[in-house]
Amino acid sequence: MTEVLFVLYFVVLVGTLVFKTPIIKGPWLFLLRAFFPNWKFFHAVGYVPHLYARLAVQLASGELQWSDWGLIYPRRVRRLSHLVHNPDANIGLGQQNMVDHFWADLHDLPEGVDPRGLVSYKMMQRLTEQVLRARDVNFTHRQFELRMVLDGRSETVDTQVMMTSPVEAASC
Amino acid sequence: MLSAAFLQTYIQALVEAPTLMAIRATELVFAWSLAIQTLEYLRMGQYTADDAFWSWQLQRADIPNAPVRALLDVLFKPHMHQMHLVLRLCAAVALAVQGASLPLIGFLFVGNLLILIRWRGAFNGGSDFLTLVVLTGLLISQVVGAFGNAQLGWQAGFWYIAIQAITSYFMSGAVKLLRREWRNGSAMTIFLNGAIYGPLSATHPLRNKWLALVGSWGFIVWEILFPLSLLDPRLAAVFCAVAALFHFLVFWFFGLNRFFWAWMCSFPAIIWCSAQFSARFA
Repeated sequence: MTEVLFVLYFVVLVGTLVFKTPIIKGPWLFLLRAFFPNWKFFHAVGYVPHLYARLAVQLASGELQWSDWGLIYPRRVRRLSHLVHNPDANIGLGQQNMVDHFWADLHDLPEGVDPRGLVSYKMMQRLTEQVLRARDVNFTHRQFELRMVLDGRSETVDTQVMMTSPVEAASC
Repeated sequence: MLSAAFLQTYIQALVEAPTLMAIRATELVFAWSLAIQTLEYLRMGQYTADDAFWSWQLQRADIPNAPVRALLDVLFKPHMHQMHLVLRLCAAVALAVQGASLPLIGFLFVGNLLILIRWRGAFNGGSDFLTLVVLTGLLISQVVGAFGNAQLGWQAGFWYIAIQAITSYFMSGAVKLLRREWRNGSAMTIFLNGAIYGPLSATHPLRNKWLALVGSWGFIVWEILFPLSLLDPRLAAVFCAVAALFHFLVFWFFGLNRFFWAWMCSFPAIIWCSAQFSARFA
């Protein structure tokens, strides 16, 4: 009997992959989602959210001199010792997870609702501020953009802009 | 000679007292994994400060319930959070030295929930999920044990951990099998290019279409077959050894060191459950 139940369990698991069921959402379910893991890692290839930002310096004439858009994406140097202590890479991975959350929040946002009220939007503001400050301490304005990027084996196949933030004054 | 004597003693203990060995191995590896995680959290104070992007002052708006939010405001003050992490580190050391107990595992379980909430539900995805699985398994063992049946408690705890871990491999493989990009090998190259240590160099072997195809199918088949590990403890040991190599490669390319240790914690439970399950056919 145990063996039958065991096989049945894995048949049901396959069934959950084939037959789509409604997704239950809620703030507490989101915060405690670790209790309901779906164990789907690196499964879907497709458009991936990437955060881009640019900075500006206000000239004496009042005009803004903008930098090029730059990708905010964690890249680190590998070391074997990171197997036991890797806070820098983990914070970078967490940062990219946050960009994914921002994309998901925007995706779920009802039509006409201002995204600036989202927690993830405010976190993107802070992240952008921090990264741009490391590039140029004297910038006066900033702007960020969420782009959906489709990568192929060797190059980017397509990019679409999902959201562009308003130009905002830099925090002191 | 010393190591041979140690190995012999270890194998003898494994044969004569497999449950005790599995308990101790789980406690030790889990304590090590928790310590690694906690030391990393302790180094991240600058990212969780009030003016940083992981500031609790921003995240508190996620909490829908005002009294809970007020409680978390106190618990997530930077110095309180740091103190919690130091206590968690001490608890991990206590777990390694003294073994599991209900107050210790209860503290780690509640503390783990707080840490998950502090990082918006998960800091590192899968490794957080499996850490919670192992912690829940340990909690089951202690709660059932508190009612007088420690043997049953560990049995239930180990089966909970083993089923979840085996499910994680099976689901991960099955979901890849359903994706064309995994079946033709392109997904592996695309994910590796986007990894934290990427992109792959122009001459990297995994840019080769056929090698990526063989690698993809190798992992898909191994993951889907993982439930067979329950048929024989020696087979389970082989599956776990391949899993260790797999998680090391995931660390090497993606920087996911926590995944390596989190899944290692489940191996004693998988081997123990395999021995128990296969004994039914003997």
